[in-house]
Amino acid sequence: MGVVLDGLVLGLQLALLSVGIVFVYGLGGVLNLAHGQVAVAGGLVAAVLLQAGQPPFVGGIGGVLAAGLLALALDQTLLQPAYRRKGEERLLLALILTLGTSFALDGLFTFRFPNLALSLRVEPPSVELAGVRVRTASLAVGGLALGTFALLLLFLKGTRFGKAIRCIIQNEAGAWLCGVDVARARSATLFLSGALAGVAALGQGFFSYLGPDMGPEFTILSLIVAVVGGVRSLTGTFLASLLLGMVNALLSYWVGTYLTWIALLAVAVATLLVRPEGLLAYWP
Amino acid sequence: MVAVAMVFAALPLWLGHSPYQMRIATLMLVLASYAVGFNLLFGHTNQLFLCVGALASLGGYTSVLLVRDLKLAPGLAVALATATSAALGGFLSYVSVRRGFGVLFVGIVTLAVSLILHNLLLGLRELTNGETGIVTRGLGLGLGDDPHRAYYAVLAVLVAALAGYRWLFSSAHGAALHALSEDEVSAELSGIDVTRYKVACAAAASALVGLVGALYADLNGFISPSVYAVGHVDIPVLIALLLGGVRTLLGPVVGAALFSAVDELVRPFGQLTVLAYGVLLVALFLVFRQGVVPLAERAARRGWMAVCRPARVDVSGPEEEVAGGIEAGR
Repeated sequence: MGVVLDGLVLGLQLALLSVGIVFVYGLGGVLNLAHGQVAVAGGLVAAVLLQAGQPPFVGGIGGVLAAGLLALALDQTLLQPAYRRKGEERLLLALILTLGTSFALDGLFTFRFPNLALSLRVEPPSVELAGVRVRTASLAVGGLALGTFALLLLFLKGTRFGKAIRCIIQNEAGAWLCGVDVARARSATLFLSGALAGVAALGQGFFSYLGPDMGPEFTILSLIVAVVGGVRSLTGTFLASLLLGMVNALLSYWVGTYLTWIALLAVAVATLLVRPEGLLAYWP
Repeated sequence: MVAVAMVFAALPLWLGHSPYQMRIATLMLVLASYAVGFNLLFGHTNQLFLCVGALASLGGYTSVLLVRDLKLAPGLAVALATATSAALGGFLSYVSVRRGFGVLFVGIVTLAVSLILHNLLLGLRELTNGETGIVTRGLGLGLGDDPHRAYYAVLAVLVAALAGYRWLFSSAHGAALHALSEDEVSAELSGIDVTRYKVACAAAASALVGLVGALYADLNGFISPSVYAVGHVDIPVLIALLLGGVRTLLGPVVGAALFSAVDELVRPFGQLTVLAYGVLLVALFLVFRQGVVPLAERAARRGWMAVCRPARVDVSGPEEEVAGGIEAGR
């Protein structure tokens, strides 16, 4: 029972992490391989703020904002030359540029903060819920993720700007013809993706801890989810996150870490081979 | 090319006394060989294989395990390891071409395969010792005992690969490859079997990478999953190729030499090397996509013309500019 709940919460975590990468791909035609590093940057900023004696609330908000701003900075500087190209060229250029960025950030983090870790503790460590002992951290992460998703949906479905963003994902040229400012929406999306990744990093801090070297792991996980869920579908991403989170929790419980990784990656490869648009992608 | 081969053949006379410098030089040749393979994959057939390290590890581990557990002769083991890598590379390429994957999907699939193999090597502890690795002394051709032998063995492979590359591009196959790297649909329509060319190139490049990976396992004296990791092989290969010049004969070699020099400079700073790799990759791809070799060739041609035919410089000058502009624009 505890494992199932862990899986659910892990799935929500994965969703937070992956929605950003999917969004940016769907809207900008750019696969951000530095996505995990952006998340780690947010977590590290939060950790630094906490060490400086700030209250957890300020630290958390600071971390999320920092991750968003870092993604925005990427958008404004490195990705600009990529946006000027189209199709395959844009993908390739952005792929290599963000790959380089991810390595640069990884090197920077592990060099500058070799021993820093974000670890958020909640008291008491576990509570009794309907007869089952549940880790408070799981509840905190679940609540955090669900709250964030509620806000995201409100933004996407309720506001004009959110609708504009969804328009662009469906048809960029059409949206542009209707007067949507594509470049501005893209920047906003990058910021949003970074901020969501930052929330995921906080969640990781609640769950266990977040270290400076976890960027690649986050990037790979979000890539796997994006592939399985379909790189253009938000519903698919959400379903895939929950599924893979559950698989991850159950498998690491039964067979250990390495085999879990292999299984997750194999699912991604199999998806690409069988149904490249995403196993759980919904196509109207 | 002959000149380059001679320069490298003579290098040990100068560095020979220092085992450390010999090692650096040998590793540079290893990197150059990987880069030649990657050039064929990425440069000529648009296949972004992010599994060079994985193919090399397949070569290395296969040869070592065949000798250790099945008591095969080292030469045979290396040959089988090369074939295994070629088979995996060819298979990945065939599947990608058949499914019509673009550069992005090929990148993701090969990256996933890399990570699967990495985790397999880590997880199959009884076979591979996991992260602890395997001491390969006595399990190969004995290249680890003599730095000079190791150096010349890798050099021989590299020169053979370059000769093969040169032969390929002076034949009709070279023209076909040029055509398909420009536009695959047009190439297919003019009667070039794109699938066959891509798969053959991938298999040949993977064989080279697997062979060098096996030699590396031997000469290094020790292998573990991390010496073949993406960050240790694929990223340097990508940087070396971009630095030297994609789609050139000597680009991979020049790039590997430059990369090794830079790597030696930043090595004392520990984790900063990763940072340097990243910055280098970004900077190269943004502002210097053509590489050193084409640049040098153009400069040399210009200088040559100025010396030999001063009267015709004015005529050929603008043409050169135009050609340069087109290449830079691509």
